[in-house]
Amino acid sequence: MYVYLYDNFLRQKKFDSVVRSIEVQLTDYGIAGKILRLANYTDAKQIVDDEIKRGAKTIVIVGNDHTFGHVLSRAATCDCLFGFLPVGEEDNTIAKVLGIPVGVEACGVLSRRLKEKLDVGWVNNRYFVSQLHVLPAKVKVIYDEKFSATANDKMEVVVCNLQPFFWKNNKNDEEHQIVHPQDGKLEAFLRPLTKKRWWGYNYEAPSVFPFEEMEIIGKDPFTVEADGKVSKEVKVKIRLAHGKINMIVGRNRKF
Amino acid sequence: MIFQKTAPKNNFNNSEDIPEEVLDIASQPKDDVETVVGPSVNVEGDFASEGNIIVKGSVAGSVHTSRHLSVEVGARIMANVRAGSAKISGEVKGNVKVKDSLELTSTARVVGDIEAKVLVVEAGALIHGKVSMPGLEMGDSKGGRIRGGKRAEEVAAPEMV
Repeated sequence: MYVYLYDNFLRQKKFDSVVRSIEVQLTDYGIAGKILRLANYTDAKQIVDDEIKRGAKTIVIVGNDHTFGHVLSRAATCDCLFGFLPVGEEDNTIAKVLGIPVGVEACGVLSRRLKEKLDVGWVNNRYFVSQLHVLPAKVKVIYDEKFSATANDKMEVVVCNLQPFFWKNNKNDEEHQIVHPQDGKLEAFLRPLTKKRWWGYNYEAPSVFPFEEMEIIGKDPFTVEADGKVSKEVKVKIRLAHGKINMIVGRNRKF
Repeated sequence: MIFQKTAPKNNFNNSEDIPEEVLDIASQPKDDVETVVGPSVNVEGDFASEGNIIVKGSVAGSVHTSRHLSVEVGARIMANVRAGSAKISGEVKGNVKVKDSLELTSTARVVGDIEAKVLVVEAGALIHGKVSMPGLEMGDSKGGRIRGGKRAEEVAAPEMV
């Protein structure tokens, strides 16, 4: 049985036609199911657990990166198969990584049921699937409790799980530099910032550390963005979670 | 407001501005696991890695890898180093123990003992310490003991031609 978790933003009128055509397509494929609407403060894990008890086998997230993060940050360890139907052109980078087209075409991917086990990262009290981003701040990073990395000034930290890391030396740089995340480990990319002569900052070339557990400590609170969810932290502990998500992915996935 | 510091602009985002061909290249997996210590990053502690290590910044403590270590120009290592193979172009203060081949380029500065099976030293490299080659020692010990015991050289800033 399929259960569809709709994000709240899909109530907007501009998404009416897309949602309707998706529903028609799903009915055509014979995979239509129960529809639940998520609110901002609903605990996704509880909903998913309840639906599994009622016999749901596949939970499909309908929305964008925020919806994806919102549901899987809590429900990643639930024993079921997850699917994703991305809607809206904005904020849908995870769908590209998973090889799922945005809009109605995603129903085809869902019906093919190509399954893949995905690694998940664990940060403080929640899971993240694609990427964690610490905005430039004065932080110290401790890896596997063995060694620490610091920079002279501010430093930006990006932890990649599924998404490759794209960066440019500067604004005018034509080429995107790409570093691939590898399976079985999380990759942390550190980019120190050095002060320009008068004001502003320059980015240095990034450092790459594969790790299983790391701690980011800052004297002042720093901003952490994980799967589209932003929070302020003083200490963040990140590790590779042992559980894996069972997910329906497309052929054009980027991993 | 004029004199307010400009916030650093994030110019690497995984957003829609990344062209398709870049995403296509991104889908090709890379087989080497690499650890990179970038410039202006300071690492302290027991720095160990399973894969290749590239050092462009500074490391203090100890460095250990079973594979290749590359110390770039301008990099500083204040630690004992153990690696499968290594190429040093920066500065190392500490003992260097390499299982296979060690290459010192013209900009290399090593203060400490070196142990390597194969040693390649480019003209201009500076070494201060004992150089020993266990491969040679083992080969000689088969034929009998060498006069003076250990086959090791004390080298102090050699002049390479």
